[in-house]
Amino acid sequence: MKTVIKQLTEAFGPSGYETEVTELIKTMVEEHVDEIRTDVLGNLIAVKKGAEDGKTIMFAAHTDEIGLVVTHIDDKGFLRFSNVGGVGIATLVGNRVRFANGTVGVIYQEKDPWKELTLDKLYIDIGAESKEEALEKVKVGEFGIFHREFEDLGNRLIAKAMDDRVGCAVLIEALKRVKNPKNTLCFVFTTQEEVGLRGARTAAYGIEPDLGIALDVTLTGDMPEARRMDVSLGKGAAIKVKDSSLIAHPRVKELLVNIAEEKQIPYQMEVLEFGGTDAGAIHLTKAGIPSGTISIPTRYIHSPSEMVDIRDVEACINLVAALADRDLGDI
Amino acid sequence: MEIKQVLRTLSEASGVSGYEHNLAATVQASCPWADEIKSDKLGNLIMLKKGTGAEPRPKVMLAGHMDEIGLIITKIEKEGFLRFSTIGGFDQRVLLAQEVVVHGKEPLIGVIGAKPPHIQAPGEQSKAVKMEDLFIDVGFDSEDEAAKAVRVGDLVTLKRDVVDLQGSFMAGKSFDDRAGVAAILECFKTLAGMSHTADVYGVATVQEEVGLRGAVTSAYGIVPDLGIAIDVGFGDSPGLPESDTIKLGKGPGIAIGPHVHPKVHERMIETAKEWNIGYSLDPSPHPGGTDTYAIQVARAGAATILLSIPLRYMHTPIETISYDDVKQTGRLMALFIAGLDHEFVEGLTCF
Repeated sequence: MKTVIKQLTEAFGPSGYETEVTELIKTMVEEHVDEIRTDVLGNLIAVKKGAEDGKTIMFAAHTDEIGLVVTHIDDKGFLRFSNVGGVGIATLVGNRVRFANGTVGVIYQEKDPWKELTLDKLYIDIGAESKEEALEKVKVGEFGIFHREFEDLGNRLIAKAMDDRVGCAVLIEALKRVKNPKNTLCFVFTTQEEVGLRGARTAAYGIEPDLGIALDVTLTGDMPEARRMDVSLGKGAAIKVKDSSLIAHPRVKELLVNIAEEKQIPYQMEVLEFGGTDAGAIHLTKAGIPSGTISIPTRYIHSPSEMVDIRDVEACINLVAALADRDLGDI
Repeated sequence: MEIKQVLRTLSEASGVSGYEHNLAATVQASCPWADEIKSDKLGNLIMLKKGTGAEPRPKVMLAGHMDEIGLIITKIEKEGFLRFSTIGGFDQRVLLAQEVVVHGKEPLIGVIGAKPPHIQAPGEQSKAVKMEDLFIDVGFDSEDEAAKAVRVGDLVTLKRDVVDLQGSFMAGKSFDDRAGVAAILECFKTLAGMSHTADVYGVATVQEEVGLRGAVTSAYGIVPDLGIAIDVGFGDSPGLPESDTIKLGKGPGIAIGPHVHPKVHERMIETAKEWNIGYSLDPSPHPGGTDTYAIQVARAGAATILLSIPLRYMHTPIETISYDDVKQTGRLMALFIAGLDHEFVEGLTCF
């Protein structure tokens, strides 16, 4: 499991350029599913067929990660950039960025570093001595990501892009464990979530499932002097009540709680005051799709070092696997 | 039921965004005039009154949102006090010292507590208390006791009975937009005594306060030719400029703006004049704020208009309306619908 998370989090996949990640996932899952395809926006859709009287469940975890895009290269070979998704400026100075071809650079700020940080005062230094040399490595419009390795701390793991490769890892492991499920399961590894739930929107329109479930990370409130949030690392899968994009369908929320209680899967209720997930797009598809979210508690989201607890990951896998086989009745 | 009683019943019922299912049953019970009633997957209550025109009949969708803004439990403190956040745009200044209903395993009465003025620091009284510093006291004496009855994520509504003010004025919670739902019921009641060409879909929509969500999916499902959203507009009161408000007791505001189809606007004004129904012109330059917009851009688009019921003190527990405005809004819609024919509706596709 840890190996899968390491491979996924170290892969390159800023929003819109997720192919390396979806290709990697394809190699991991293709022998375990009945059908596998991609759609026009690059979503990878892996299908496990269920019983004839089962329903269709769409599980969504996004493959993209936040990143940077080069906007200008100056005469001395320094790069200016903009953000792709919600990048925290405070996490950038002194950090390293990696481009698709492996070029690595350091991010720094003009004049006084760490003072009055704004994106337009930051630049990337890829070690080029001239514009020409820089252009051999990087072009305007190229997307970069945080350059950072996975670390195993025991129960706790840190990596860039835990948001949402850990969600992908949950789905990959769950789909391996589920044999002959009751329901038809569409495991969708979505694209462009960080820029507005775009992949999930088109995937859900194409699939039109009976039930939508997003797997994504959520904030915790268990760090020193943290903002109030009743979710902690290591206390189990978080069952979402609401965030900015979704009020979980009451029946879906209760279904997840009931499954967790029955199967003795550790869980906690999540009320997130900001942010959203793919379920926000799924539930408003066509004439409406009952939806919910299973969240992996994560510290330091959108920084290069996002932390999860492997026991929570395990709880999420168990919850997904149990839901996959559940008789959904009139959901 | 008289309009006043309908408004009272709807206002005093509970239905925070996403949790409107019990309220939907109350609305349904108040609508004996529909030919068919169903709920969609997000919980929108769709009441159909069939027209008598030749098929395919034009489809008119009426949308009034039944959800109310509310609170949600975020944490149970060690001492048994409950912390909360909001669903929808509550004015946090008015939450202090309110009575609430915590919808736990069983509904529980609670109060939102405050620090006594005697022991406040100098200057504290002139500032609004932030929501993160507020808490609900249900009378629990420990976290364990609270946790048996209440869970993080449980919903909270304000406990507030409607009061009758002078004349036709009433004050209470959630008239935004239960007044709109009541106007739809009034429209159906009026249509019951009329002949109309179009099929009329009266929709009590869900989740408007968190982003027009119910209107998005119900409009997709219904595919209306013409959409009328009924919501509340800022009523006149001291301190508000006349240009931003509509007067209570003078009939509905008829909106004009980018989400209003000019031909529908024109016909609505003509209808009001013809039948001597009072109205205010309601300039509405920002299209995102009501169900109107969601209906307008669903699928290949629909001709839409917004009718605004004047309401004072929006998003507080003492929202004030005139029941006569609600009645006139329902009547105006019914007369407008009765005047529709195939030719007019087809003409809407040629802007």
